[in-house]
Amino acid sequence: MAARIQGLLEAIAARSDERPLPTTISGVVRLDVEDAGRTEHWYLTIAKGTVSVARKGGEPDCVLRGDAATFSGVLSGEANMMAAILRGAFEFEGRVLLLVTLQRLSPGEDKGADVPAAGYARRQS
Amino acid sequence: MSDQVKILDGNTFVVSDDRGDIEASPTDPTGLFSFDTRFLSKWVLTVNGQRLNPLSVDDLQYFETRFFLVPGTGTVYIDAKLSVIRERAVGGGFHEELTVMNHDDKAVDLDVRLEAACDFADLFEVKDALKKKGAYSTRVEDGKLVLGYRRETYVRETWISASADCSVDNRGLTFSIHVEPHEQWTTDLDVAIGHGVRGTSAGRPKYGRQSKRARPNMEVSLETWLDEAPQLDCDWDALKRTYQRSLVDLAALRFSPVALPGHYLPAAGLPWFMTMFGRDSIFTSLQALPFAPDLARTTLVALGLWQGARSDDFRDEDPGRILHELRFGEMTAFEERPHSPYYGSVDATPLYVVLLDEYERWTGDTKLVRTLEGVARAALAWIDDYADLQGNGYIAYKRRNETSGLENQCWKDSWDSISYRDGRIPGFPRATCELQGYAYDAKMRGARLARAVWRDPAFADRLEKEAAALKRRFNRDFWVDDGRYYALALDADGSQVDALASNIGHLLWSGIVDKSKANAVASHLMSPAMYSGWGVRTLAEGQGRYNPIGYHVGTVWPFDCSFIAWGLRQYGFKDEAARIAAGILDAAQCFEGRLPEAFGGYARELTKYPVQYPTACSPQAWSTGTPLLLLRTMLGLEPSGEHLIVDPVLPQGIGHLELLDIPGRWGKMDAFGRGRVDVSTKPPPSTPPHCGDVAGVDVHVPMVPSRPCPLWYHSGVNSA
Repeated sequence: MAARIQGLLEAIAARSDERPLPTTISGVVRLDVEDAGRTEHWYLTIAKGTVSVARKGGEPDCVLRGDAATFSGVLSGEANMMAAILRGAFEFEGRVLLLVTLQRLSPGEDKGADVPAAGYARRQS
Repeated sequence: MSDQVKILDGNTFVVSDDRGDIEASPTDPTGLFSFDTRFLSKWVLTVNGQRLNPLSVDDLQYFETRFFLVPGTGTVYIDAKLSVIRERAVGGGFHEELTVMNHDDKAVDLDVRLEAACDFADLFEVKDALKKKGAYSTRVEDGKLVLGYRRETYVRETWISASADCSVDNRGLTFSIHVEPHEQWTTDLDVAIGHGVRGTSAGRPKYGRQSKRARPNMEVSLETWLDEAPQLDCDWDALKRTYQRSLVDLAALRFSPVALPGHYLPAAGLPWFMTMFGRDSIFTSLQALPFAPDLARTTLVALGLWQGARSDDFRDEDPGRILHELRFGEMTAFEERPHSPYYGSVDATPLYVVLLDEYERWTGDTKLVRTLEGVARAALAWIDDYADLQGNGYIAYKRRNETSGLENQCWKDSWDSISYRDGRIPGFPRATCELQGYAYDAKMRGARLARAVWRDPAFADRLEKEAAALKRRFNRDFWVDDGRYYALALDADGSQVDALASNIGHLLWSGIVDKSKANAVASHLMSPAMYSGWGVRTLAEGQGRYNPIGYHVGTVWPFDCSFIAWGLRQYGFKDEAARIAAGILDAAQCFEGRLPEAFGGYARELTKYPVQYPTACSPQAWSTGTPLLLLRTMLGLEPSGEHLIVDPVLPQGIGHLELLDIPGRWGKMDAFGRGRVDVSTKPPPSTPPHCGDVAGVDVHVPMVPSRPCPLWYHSGVNSA
């Protein structure tokens, strides 16, 4: 399961390039993933609109705790993050704003546009 | 049912009868609500087994109220030897101070009881009377009554406690009290709400301490809020009162998104719509921009944060789309309703770009525009890539969520709002005209931002070319030749939905109207078929579906009129704009400064006072913002570079008017004007008695009793 979570988180980090976030959002989210009696930690660092993943990190601004299946569901886009939080499937404390960012970066089909819109291109400064 | 009393703090609110009691039924939306969930559905006070009788209710603030009661119900006998006061304040639950006063010269022994129960209904369930899927529990813990509900990991609890000695059972609290002659007895009651996680109890939520912090804060922030707003002075006292009312109501409508604590945006309406709505929050922010620009800032940040990122049919979500509505109840939690958030609105996305540009023009806050560049670009891309459902280059809507999505995704969201002249209703997708105006405006304003802030002139050129092409096509395809106005919409075949409706006024605001056609549009708006004397009817008299008390087919919506007046003004119809402003502000006077969502489209000569459309939400945000935008329009306030241009064209009856300390990129500026426009084909606004003498008699008579509560209307879940 750890490998799956790792893969999903890396995909989320990669996606932050194509789904522009408001650039002022920054902070660290620690995910406490409970799996077979153990708790694994992941750190997502959000800075200047992009996301990076690590297994170690400093003081988090937000902690999200839940079982591996629930994490797998929302990080893969099969379940909705916001709904899962409302449902009490996760415990969380800290800045909600950072969780909204996660929801935004969780995968999902993009079946509307045939060609990526020009508007999505991130201007290089 | 007795008159309802509502108090609120953010999205927590209490609706009770005028005794302070709550006895909710499936169809009766009373109770303590928070995060779209009912946390108390029964709260009934008795003394010696008897219900109490209301003497009066003091609305202290929008978050606190006081009930004066005496024993004995109805008209029978009132025992003046005993009186009861319930003082209630809301904030993270509610706090009630209960006082029993003995006015007799003999001591009394009394049983005071509070019955409590809760159904933990989702707001959506209240509407549909759905059966709950989880299990209820009741327990007494540490002398507190705990009402609970659990469904899998979802846990909601209500903790009820008292400061005085009492016996607690599963159905309430009983106080056996002894009160000496001319003495009183008091207890504090705390009703706290808890959100458990992962199937466990919330654990004693602390209400009391929160409230003691929250209440003074609300008051202080109200004072600061009023101090920071521009000061209005004028010869017309009623306008001053309306202005003050608008500012106070706007303060009550401030809503802090959970993701942005300490920042406020305008929620849509009080109390049922105390949440983020894309369209309502944007329109209200636009109206309030010259008065309280921070509302726009928070709206832009919050909506940007929640911008759609994927294609999700259940939520009608697309990449770049701006949300319609965010909710927190059980049905949303279990994905039985799509509001986490729901994206079924087609105007919020272009309007987002419009607000971003207007915000920058007023405040010069280029930093925010840079921060939100990606969001704005994605919103602009959405217009072309996802909204063109008819393949003809126009924004159109058709829900993908067929069970709980919204059918009409424009502001006129009732089932029969979009019709042909002969009354027929078109199929989907529908491309209503005002959406094309918003798209045009978004592209023009996006181009300005691209050039001025994002330093991307190529993108600006492209947007301007697209806007010009859209304007050309629009003026060809939507123009109804034989009527000389723009069609309300294009239907699925691309044919004109040819009713004459107020939407054409928004086109003036957006600037998509060809100069050569503007005269005809303005004439229609001011014609007897459309202008009632109070405002512009949503649908013109003589159209197939016209009904002066039809929700979107004949009533006058103050918010609609405020944007129409702004549009008229932009095309140089300054007197006409002043006339509409005068009519709406006259109407406001008849509603004691608080404009309703809508009022009847009857001709002013016929009813003499505006007939309020029944609505469960008051104040409504964009009605509250209406007097503000009308002031801006009448004073001709327009940012130009670093300056504020003032070009007043005011109705005569206003006399002298000054607005001091208008905030913006110029610092603070004052504006002065004197009324000169004769609007007296109808009585001028300086003669209050023509409505004052009847106001309060019949104004609140429900016109259409069977109308659904706008809560369901707006949330729109299967509303048709």
